[in-house]
Amino acid sequence: MSILQIHAQPSRTTVWILSWFLFATGIVSYFWVSRGRHLENPDDRVMPTLRQMGQAFTDATLKPAEDDEVAANPDRQSLAAKIHSSMLWKDTMATGGRFLISMALLFPAVLLGLHMGMFPYVGSFFLRFVLFFDKIVALSLLPILFIAFGIDELAKVMLIVVGVAPTIILDAFNLTRGVPKEQIVKGFTLGAGDFSITYRIVFKQIWPRVLNSIRLNLKSVMLFLFAGEMIASQDGLAYRIALLRRHMGMDTIIPYVLWVALLLFLVDFGMRTLNRKLHPWFQEA
Amino acid sequence: MICIQDVVVEYGQPGKLPKRILNGVNLDIHPGEFISIVGQTGCGKSTLLRLVLAEEMPTRGQVLVEGSPRKQPDRRCGYVPQKYSLFPDRTVLENITFGLEVTEIGIFGGFSPARRVRRQEFRLEALGYLRRMGLRESDAVKYPHQLSGGMQQRVAIAQALIMRPKILLMDEAFSALDPGTRAGMQRLIKDLWRETGTTILFVTHNPREAVTLATRVIALGRTGADEDGANIVLNLAVPDSANDATIAGLIQRVEQTTFPGGGAESDEQTGAPEA
Repeated sequence: MSILQIHAQPSRTTVWILSWFLFATGIVSYFWVSRGRHLENPDDRVMPTLRQMGQAFTDATLKPAEDDEVAANPDRQSLAAKIHSSMLWKDTMATGGRFLISMALLFPAVLLGLHMGMFPYVGSFFLRFVLFFDKIVALSLLPILFIAFGIDELAKVMLIVVGVAPTIILDAFNLTRGVPKEQIVKGFTLGAGDFSITYRIVFKQIWPRVLNSIRLNLKSVMLFLFAGEMIASQDGLAYRIALLRRHMGMDTIIPYVLWVALLLFLVDFGMRTLNRKLHPWFQEA
Repeated sequence: MICIQDVVVEYGQPGKLPKRILNGVNLDIHPGEFISIVGQTGCGKSTLLRLVLAEEMPTRGQVLVEGSPRKQPDRRCGYVPQKYSLFPDRTVLENITFGLEVTEIGIFGGFSPARRVRRQEFRLEALGYLRRMGLRESDAVKYPHQLSGGMQQRVAIAQALIMRPKILLMDEAFSALDPGTRAGMQRLIKDLWRETGTTILFVTHNPREAVTLATRVIALGRTGADEDGANIVLNLAVPDSANDATIAGLIQRVEQTTFPGGGAESDEQTGAPEA
């Protein structure tokens, strides 16, 4: 039996083994190489051991951030209080806050795309401009954004908006244009007006697809956010990674990278679940 | 009721010779008529329907509905297209009540007690239509993708009829259905027409379906060169009391006019009912 058959039907066990194989291989390879390096040089900092990473992650999770005043009796603090004042918590909150503001700012982008697709005058007014902006490499605008908006939060949020909004606008525009004409005509014949058709027929139909599009753009959102944080920030996950790079703090960087991946996976999973629950017709159709 | 006056429709891009679809069509349709528009693929049947619907404007001439021209589709005309006839994000019941909700309740008025009562009335009315269409109450909570093609078209008809349109426009509404379902739908639409007296414009490319359903058959075709566009080549009244032999004769006449070289759909394909 060839493994390259289109009609092949691997068993559940085989699928399970195959899907975890690369993870297992990567982890085993890492620790095998790491062990070899540590046998040669016990102070090796490039490939920390599991124990080192565990210790660094525990410190990041349970010890107060460096800029905080140490509590009177840190050992008597509750676990929740320890986590709340930890470096990881503060960095996650800072990055998460920027992420949420950026996501909220993408909603007007969806509405703009919807109106561009529905109303020819609005489409004519914005389309070329958005197409042009879509071709600009957002990171190249970073210096301009820092000069225009300063190095505060606004510049980082604007970087995400400038980087991702054109894609979302064009996605919403194309999805709107993709709604069958029959549906719009039907709406008119059922007594709906222009805005009723826009919001009660078209928006409701494209919204789950737009959510999917935003979900697929999550990585871009994080990319722009991390770029902003690495260049000009006082806190945040990317700021911490950039800071620790200077000190070769791989024992903290690796758990941080995995933490970011886990967070992104959870956001992605949450959005998928929400989309499925809110729009059962979309998932089944 | 509907007055189509010397209508010409041309499509084309700037700098290119326009393609003429309809060439000087004149037609008067009276209230309560059941008109079948028949013709070969691409002869302008659906274009004529879209003109009445006001989804499209003629290049020349005018289309008057109740004596006035229109700028966009409105609720005087119900519409049942061949595809995409239902809103996929709404259940069957929500699809049927959509028109009532949108016209009587609006976007922001959905929560007052009076509205809740009214909404319940819509629901009961929609369930009545659902039963009339031969669907079960349990189908009310299904989404369109969970229904067969025939059931979807039944819901689409209910969705249009609940608004009590003066004109019902059906654009090859049954052509994607299997013969058995199609025959059932044809019987249903004829019964509904008798009950409601709604003026119906029914586009089909099947002569038998056209004759057995309608009170008048309009055949579109090209008499000259292709670039001249189509016009009415046959305007045939179907007597109410026509017997089988008369019907057969009329079908033959429509076939010969519309498909002179053959190629009309067979009865097996259409499932057309006995006259």
